[in-house]
Amino acid sequence: MSMSFAGQTAVVGIGATEFSKNSGRSTLRLAVECCEAAIADAGLLPEQIDGMVGFTVEENHEIDVARSLGIKELTHFSRIHHSGGAACGTLHQAAMAVHTGACKYALVYRAFNERSETRFGAGVQGLDNAPTPIMVDFGWCLPFGLLTPASWVAMFATRYMHQYGATSEDFGRISVADRRHAATNPEAFFYQQAITLEDHQASRWIVKPLHLLDCCQESDGGQALLVTTLERARDLPNEPVVIASAAQGSADDQQMMKSYYRDDITGIPEMGLCARQLWNDTGLGPDDMQAAIIYDHFTPLVLPQLEEFGFCAVGEAKDFIKDGNLELGGRLPMNTNGGQLGEAYIHGMNGVAEAVRLVRGTSVNQVPDVSNVLVTGGTAVPTSAAILSRAG
Amino acid sequence: MSDDNKSKTPDALLAALRRIVGVATEPRVTRDDVNQAMIRHWCDAMEDHNPVYTDPAFAAESVHGGIVAPPAMLDTWSMPGLAPRPRQESSSGEEAGMVPVLNQLDAAGFTSVVAAGMSHEYHRYLKPGDRLTISQVITSVSDEKQTALGVGHFFTTESNFADQQGNSVGRMEFSILKFKPGTGTVNMDASALEGLEKMPRPRPAISRDTKFFWDGVDQGELRIQKCNSCDGLHHPPVVRCPGCGSYELGYLVSQGRGTVYSFVEVHHPQFPMFDYPLVGVLVELEEGTRIISNLVGVKPEDVETGMPVELAIEATDPGLSLPLFRRARPARRESTLLFADLEPGQELPPCPVAISRTLIVAGAMASRDFQDVHHDPDLAKKRGSPDTFMNIMTTSGLTNRYVTDWAGPEVIFRKLSLRLGVPNFPGDTLTYTGQVQSTALRDGKGVVELLVTGTNKLGDHVTATVELELPTP
Repeated sequence: MSMSFAGQTAVVGIGATEFSKNSGRSTLRLAVECCEAAIADAGLLPEQIDGMVGFTVEENHEIDVARSLGIKELTHFSRIHHSGGAACGTLHQAAMAVHTGACKYALVYRAFNERSETRFGAGVQGLDNAPTPIMVDFGWCLPFGLLTPASWVAMFATRYMHQYGATSEDFGRISVADRRHAATNPEAFFYQQAITLEDHQASRWIVKPLHLLDCCQESDGGQALLVTTLERARDLPNEPVVIASAAQGSADDQQMMKSYYRDDITGIPEMGLCARQLWNDTGLGPDDMQAAIIYDHFTPLVLPQLEEFGFCAVGEAKDFIKDGNLELGGRLPMNTNGGQLGEAYIHGMNGVAEAVRLVRGTSVNQVPDVSNVLVTGGTAVPTSAAILSRAG
Repeated sequence: MSDDNKSKTPDALLAALRRIVGVATEPRVTRDDVNQAMIRHWCDAMEDHNPVYTDPAFAAESVHGGIVAPPAMLDTWSMPGLAPRPRQESSSGEEAGMVPVLNQLDAAGFTSVVAAGMSHEYHRYLKPGDRLTISQVITSVSDEKQTALGVGHFFTTESNFADQQGNSVGRMEFSILKFKPGTGTVNMDASALEGLEKMPRPRPAISRDTKFFWDGVDQGELRIQKCNSCDGLHHPPVVRCPGCGSYELGYLVSQGRGTVYSFVEVHHPQFPMFDYPLVGVLVELEEGTRIISNLVGVKPEDVETGMPVELAIEATDPGLSLPLFRRARPARRESTLLFADLEPGQELPPCPVAISRTLIVAGAMASRDFQDVHHDPDLAKKRGSPDTFMNIMTTSGLTNRYVTDWAGPEVIFRKLSLRLGVPNFPGDTLTYTGQVQSTALRDGKGVVELLVTGTNKLGDHVTATVELELPTP
């Protein structure tokens, strides 16, 4: 599948609130703050914004955010499904909207108090058992005590370990790398708090085989991005960060967090579908990426993502990681902001912003000579991915 | 022990009890001959399918030459049934045996009873038509003891069983605790029984498309959606067959056998409606689909990918049945192990037994044990137990079954000795494990000693030593 807007649109602004355990203010306030920052970073004024793209699970309606920001007229607004899976899907939607002329400047945002108010990791409970599709779907796991994303992801992890001989230490190396990157990022939850593999192994069980340090910290915060056409981007103050391609993927027998019924459950075929689209659209390949932001709400699902994008062969991600490829100075420095394990869990949107900084050359853990950065959306759900590139 | 003298067992009572020690009862002929009907009830209750007990053709060709009774039934033949306790006295008319001890302790307030252990010696297997004579002697009565269950006295009996020719066929030592209900050091009210009274689990939301599945669970079936056109299976259910496009969707009833495809062990966060650690499991059914469930009765550290499991539809709380899984019962060995096959240290495969109310009651009836604590939950509570619990003879029968299922139908039991720990309450799973302790050739016979343990979620229910005779070449 070819994306006719490939390379024709750009991210021109990013903005975030602080990431915290308790923001102390409403999610609407967080959404408005991060959007205002992104608009300012782009050198735009709110009244110039005419498109907004958000997450289906975002609780703040576009019109409420727009009203507080002083956005006047919206000619495009849309929502993307599937929680963190939407991270790059929003870019995809915004790029299509600005490319077709549905709007000129698309504002993309995600804000929540996912730590201090509604924690996914606290477990799904207290909902009535009305037969809405989501509750019917939960009916296959909640009665058995599998109430949390950690428990759903752990099921994939055990099978992956069984099939490929991966170990908890292999997962732990991802956490250690992320935390090393977070340690030098003042915006990160875990600024100046690097960990060792021993710390990882000693951390308590959440859902075996997941240790505490395999799981991201739930966060309060907001992150916004501003997307426009490359042509308009050239008139703005920041160096444009080109959306070389963005893609969404949902694969055969796709289910929410529990695609357990496929012949093989150790891969992430929906991410493979994103990978095929990105490589096709751009003519680029794994060797052309200088860095990557790999969605890391839980460490085990980082491994099959590396395999789906072809950075290593299937079942060999553990060796790829062990060989230091994801470290600064390695073949594919990953999650230079600390990732969701180290910086904050903002449904992957903070990762998109880090990819923008890497291309701009402004990451706190800057990788030299970045032309292209891969960024991925949430896993175990219908997902998305994008390549952000330096303007040619 | 209490300092309060008034609560102590009077010296006179203890002296009266101890006068009975060592006085043998006059031999008494059992009410019924060894018979096929009682053997069949026993085998049904214990789910013991060894054909030497019930299949005349197989038994005739076996080492026994005909039908035999399960060895663990030894004392069943002498049980009095639902009739009042018979008088027991010696040939010279003195009080003797267990009955006067039970009566005197009852009168002194020690009204509750539990078996603590038992040991059988088998001199030969019993056959239908055998008529036994039993003589019993009290061998000891303990001082008053403070036990976890309550203040009470242990006493032990020895029973000797002879056949119609006067030849000894077996011997039993039996150890019992009689105690005062409500004087225990552990809280044995219902809340002490973890898992029986707790917050309800989350209910599944049921749509018109998934109703067949949950209706099936309520009826004790695991139903998997099946396309009526192309026979494709779909779980969770779809509304249109993605394979062939048909809307004609039915279901098959799963045989409930499968293997662990993946699993997790939930530690955090914990919720009051579940027991932890909780094993979540993805089972690959033999029919070809997978299903999310819980593995029950297996310690988390013993769970492995590929492990055979079987369906156990259980009511997790009133009004909710769920398709759970437990370790699959190992297949019964059809040709008996040889002595040369065994060496010390060898492990027996683990075997689960679902402790249902039916098993507890059926086992008590099959062993002619009409103690109310084994069939009447209200009276069990009055006697200081949170619920009915399994009697020791059912535990003997299940241990007998576990060992013969592993060793084969023609293994000969020489000794079976049990020590009981925590009770088996309904809803739990008893899991047997075992190990070969020693092997020896004695008088040309291959003698093997096993250590067998049965655990449930409260702890060790039974620790047994078993002496077997296995064929030598």
